[in-house]
Amino acid sequence: MNWRFGLTGSTFDPLMTSHWALAAALLLPLVFGALAAIFPPRRMWPVALACAVILTAGIFLLIDTRQAGVLRWQWEFSGIGVALRLNGVSMLLLLLTQWLGAAAALYTPGLLRISDPERFARWLWPLMGAVISALSLAWVATDLLTLYIALETMGLAAVAMLLLSGQADALLAGMRYLLLTLVGSLAYLLGVALILGYWGRLDLAGLAEVVEPGPVAWVAAALMGAGLALKAALFPLHAWLSPVHSSAWTPVSALHAGLVVKASLFVLLELWSILLFETFWAPRVIAWMGMLAVVWGGLIAWRAESLKTLVASSTVAQLGYLMVVFPLLLGPDISPLARALAWDGFWLQLMGHALAKAAMFMAAGNLILATGEKTLEGLAGTSRRLPLSLLVFGVASVTLMGLPPSAGFTAKWLLLQSMVISGQWWAVAALLVGTLLTAAYIFRFFRYSFMETAPRHRYQPLAPGMDVIALGLALAAFALGLLAHFPLDLLHGGSA
Amino acid sequence: MIASVDLIEVVLALCLVTAALFCLFDRHLLRACSFFVAFTLCMALAWLTLAAPWLALMEGIIGALLTTPCFFYALGVFTPASEKLPSHDHFKEPLSRGVMRTLLALAWCLMVGAVVRFIFPAMVYSPTEHPLLLAGVVMVAAAMGAFAWHRHLVRRLLAFNVLGSGVFLLLAGLAGTDPQGQALITTALVVAWLGSLLGALVIRRLYRLEGENALLGSRGLKETRQ
Amino acid sequence: MNAAWLPLTALAASLLAAVIIFSLPEEARRVRTSVNLTAAVIKISLVALMVKRITNGDEAVFSFQVVGNIDFVLRADALGVMFAGLSSVLWLCTTVYAIGYLEGTANRKRFFGFFSLCVASTLGIALAGNLFTFLIFYEMLTLSTYPLVVHSGTDKALNAGRIYLRYTLTAGVVLLFGVVLLYSLTGDHSFASERGLGDYLDDHRVLLTLIFALLVGGFAVKAAMVPLHGWLPRAMVAPAPVSALLHAVAVVKAGAFGILRIIYDLYGIELSVELGVTTALAVASCITIIYGSMRAIAQQELKPRLAFSTISQVSYVILGVSLFGPFGTIGALAHLLHQGLMKVTLFFCAGIYAEELGIHRIDEMDGAGKRMPLTSLAFTIGAFGMIGLPPVAGFITKWYLGIGAIQADMYWVVAVLVASSTLNAIYFLPIVHRLWFRVGPAHGHGHWPDEQRLGRLETHGWLLWPAVFTAAISLAAGLFAGLPFSPLDWATRVAVGEYLP
Repeated sequence: MNWRFGLTGSTFDPLMTSHWALAAALLLPLVFGALAAIFPPRRMWPVALACAVILTAGIFLLIDTRQAGVLRWQWEFSGIGVALRLNGVSMLLLLLTQWLGAAAALYTPGLLRISDPERFARWLWPLMGAVISALSLAWVATDLLTLYIALETMGLAAVAMLLLSGQADALLAGMRYLLLTLVGSLAYLLGVALILGYWGRLDLAGLAEVVEPGPVAWVAAALMGAGLALKAALFPLHAWLSPVHSSAWTPVSALHAGLVVKASLFVLLELWSILLFETFWAPRVIAWMGMLAVVWGGLIAWRAESLKTLVASSTVAQLGYLMVVFPLLLGPDISPLARALAWDGFWLQLMGHALAKAAMFMAAGNLILATGEKTLEGLAGTSRRLPLSLLVFGVASVTLMGLPPSAGFTAKWLLLQSMVISGQWWAVAALLVGTLLTAAYIFRFFRYSFMETAPRHRYQPLAPGMDVIALGLALAAFALGLLAHFPLDLLHGGSA
Repeated sequence: MIASVDLIEVVLALCLVTAALFCLFDRHLLRACSFFVAFTLCMALAWLTLAAPWLALMEGIIGALLTTPCFFYALGVFTPASEKLPSHDHFKEPLSRGVMRTLLALAWCLMVGAVVRFIFPAMVYSPTEHPLLLAGVVMVAAAMGAFAWHRHLVRRLLAFNVLGSGVFLLLAGLAGTDPQGQALITTALVVAWLGSLLGALVIRRLYRLEGENALLGSRGLKETRQ
Repeated sequence: MNAAWLPLTALAASLLAAVIIFSLPEEARRVRTSVNLTAAVIKISLVALMVKRITNGDEAVFSFQVVGNIDFVLRADALGVMFAGLSSVLWLCTTVYAIGYLEGTANRKRFFGFFSLCVASTLGIALAGNLFTFLIFYEMLTLSTYPLVVHSGTDKALNAGRIYLRYTLTAGVVLLFGVVLLYSLTGDHSFASERGLGDYLDDHRVLLTLIFALLVGGFAVKAAMVPLHGWLPRAMVAPAPVSALLHAVAVVKAGAFGILRIIYDLYGIELSVELGVTTALAVASCITIIYGSMRAIAQQELKPRLAFSTISQVSYVILGVSLFGPFGTIGALAHLLHQGLMKVTLFFCAGIYAEELGIHRIDEMDGAGKRMPLTSLAFTIGAFGMIGLPPVAGFITKWYLGIGAIQADMYWVVAVLVASSTLNAIYFLPIVHRLWFRVGPAHGHGHWPDEQRLGRLETHGWLLWPAVFTAAISLAAGLFAGLPFSPLDWATRVAVGEYLP
């Protein structure tokens, strides 16, 4: 399993360009964010310019990773080691972060221009930059200290970003999240302390060699798992998710639901693949929670009255799909074929969901912004008046439902195949029931939107590009279904 | 020589626990925050005894100079009298919920206990020789209890900080204060400060928006609106 | 020589039309109409090209790898092109009809966009070269028909849409499970491969039967087999062109075509007989045939009667498939086309009556033949075809099915056929009688429920000519069944391919 995360295996010295590209990918979002706080951009083009630089760095890294397989960096400052690596998975997630981050950033000027400018609006930029930098760091870091720094920066910046809209409900939910996530990070810290005390090292590659199963590994895994599950909003620790999103700004929601919760999940999987590989119970417990999450999240979304609650609750259910896969990735007695399929399906589902959920939040934000209505009933009849936003919502929801030819479908196909091969029938049932529940809550919204009897509102026209960016993301999630070969190729090629 | 170190440690540990308990369970919020200052100073001394001067410095700067002002800001000490938070927290948790929360907290403590138990032979500083680590365990337990029983956001934020300090002491005991451990603790201190800062900002804004009850969580908010 | 571009372009013709229509503004009526018609004509010519290539024995396969061991394959084979031909011809007719039908109503951009998507999906279903590809377009069809079903936006339509989704999405999930089971067992299995799944028979008999049940169960919902037919009569609230397309080619036929693919190209007919699943299917389809006809008699309104008639008629296809022997197959395949032509005619006519005269109930149709002779003539041809009277196309299929049943020694099937034809006559002949021989508003007795004068002829030309055209083809398909490239000829070609490899 460790070779999949690029912790072991052959390495090449990174090229000079890779060093610079890595530095750019990690630092430039922060720098540009700080710049934007000082000179807030009013138009799209300065943002686009900044994004282009970062995306170019990403492309450079991609080319180098494809050539070398795994890129590795190691430094030591007075006894503190820092280790980074770039393999297929982390490259893929890094690219996803950069593109999704660029989309969110491009969306923002339009949003800020037409919604009344808030006092805190300029703080959005540095926080967004910090989140993107921290995310990029979380994907590439391979020692527990750097991971800790990345996770905490990401978590704090994300909370701050979610709280910017400043509604009382969101503040309370955010405060609860803040306290929980801080306590959660203490749990993570204790786990790290345990590992450091017992094995005396923090780099994952070294740990992968020395860790043997036993009570220490289990307790450390449990502590870190609990902390990360809280940050990732894994069921049953999800309660903070939807109130926080219900009044957050659209690009913030898109980034958070699309990427931030995934980062904790990624780290969880990475750590457990070292500490708990081929154990029976721990991944199984996660999978059971995942099944409950699929059903519970689906039901909550089904009962939701406001559109944002619907979209946010669906994240809980969609994360459930990923949790259900844990036994296939970590459990014992899984055939190599099943494990490879589950691995591919896991990341494809993650990517598809990230893109589609971001698109969906943007579409929902557009609908709410244009109509001024937050509830499903208030949005009745939108199919006639806001067809493009609704189309984006529809295309994104196809991915969430896992219907062809979207990324969600191909991922679900791979996962189902893996589950059938290894005989995990409960997981199959969870996936299939999840599809139906998703369809139920999605089409509940569409039912409202197709009503012809609804009263006509006056509509706030959207800024140019807001719908187009969302459509681009939704189509990317859609196209990833049939073009899944390319990302999966990178996933394999990088870990070979 | 060893006996004297022990005596200093014992006194320090007692001071730490006392400060922590006052800080956690005093219903007068301003006084509780003042005790937190004393608590951080004790922590700084504790780091010195554990041979980590760098950490002592960081604790002094971050804990005493940066985190405590956050609490005072949250209480409204620097603002006109009309915007000050009420000085006492009178809220009492219903018994059933309290018991449930205590159980959850106990579960957490059990996990910490398991950590200490399993790692016992490998600990760099053994708890039997170093009362400071025992103080760490007591602080963690007390802070978890406080977390379970209190709903006032300022007190919860305080509880988190005490909990954090307890965990740092445990960490130092488990892993020693080598550079890697120190780096971890320094990061955690910065995170705790940033978290407190953010929390203080949110508390101020919530109080301004919704009043006193809002600081007691979502049910408090509902009561305010009724 | 392989012409990979051919199936791809044929698919792209409708897909691009959908995209262009979506990007045009609502008011661009003229441009939309011309895009629609151009795409339809291009598509017909591409399908004609495919027919030519197949007769010459040339290949036209487009494929690329999706993940690991799964390919996306579009392949023009004889069976697929048959369905593609039906879909493209009826797309043209229905588009013309829909343009007339929706004249001046709201949301036409949405309607025609999803209409094109729906047709693109049927073409994809027709040309899908393996089950994975088939599934993709099958689900796309579900999604793209939903906005058409709820088009009017009334409560009734929205409820119908909900029930439609409840049935089809559940079926989709069952189907997905079946397909994944099959892939886990056998890997990618092209429809074109000569070997069926016979290799797995010894070790996995139960599993194969289970998979068959799941697959056919999933398809049977769209094919509206009893007891999974509940969505179809409710979906009648959709506008007439949608009903016509749904019943004649898109949804119902997609289900039946899926069952055809499963039995002929996936399991192979011998294996299906060996597993004993064909007999079960024959019984199920006979029950559906009789039940649908009985319910049709009980309906007092025209469109629900036609809907129940569809339930009954589509099961002829499945009955034919489950009879072992070339004649049953020929009957089934020919009926796939014939029923499409005849049913689309009937729905066109029902729509015309509703638009021009406001007729919805059967007892309002007295004497409509005098007022609207051409429409009524088309309706009569369709109805006679449904009953199976010569020389309309329906007769040919019933004849072949009967011979097939006798060859397979299933004499009770002949009894079912006779019973069903009688029932068909019982519910269609009274309508024809009312049209031509009863005295009504056209003779000065009473008046029509809601008469409009839509055109210079008996109604709007865009409505009338498609109906007349499809009626003429159904008649011609029966009269000239012996000529090359008639539906019967092509069905025979496919059946010979199945039985004489």
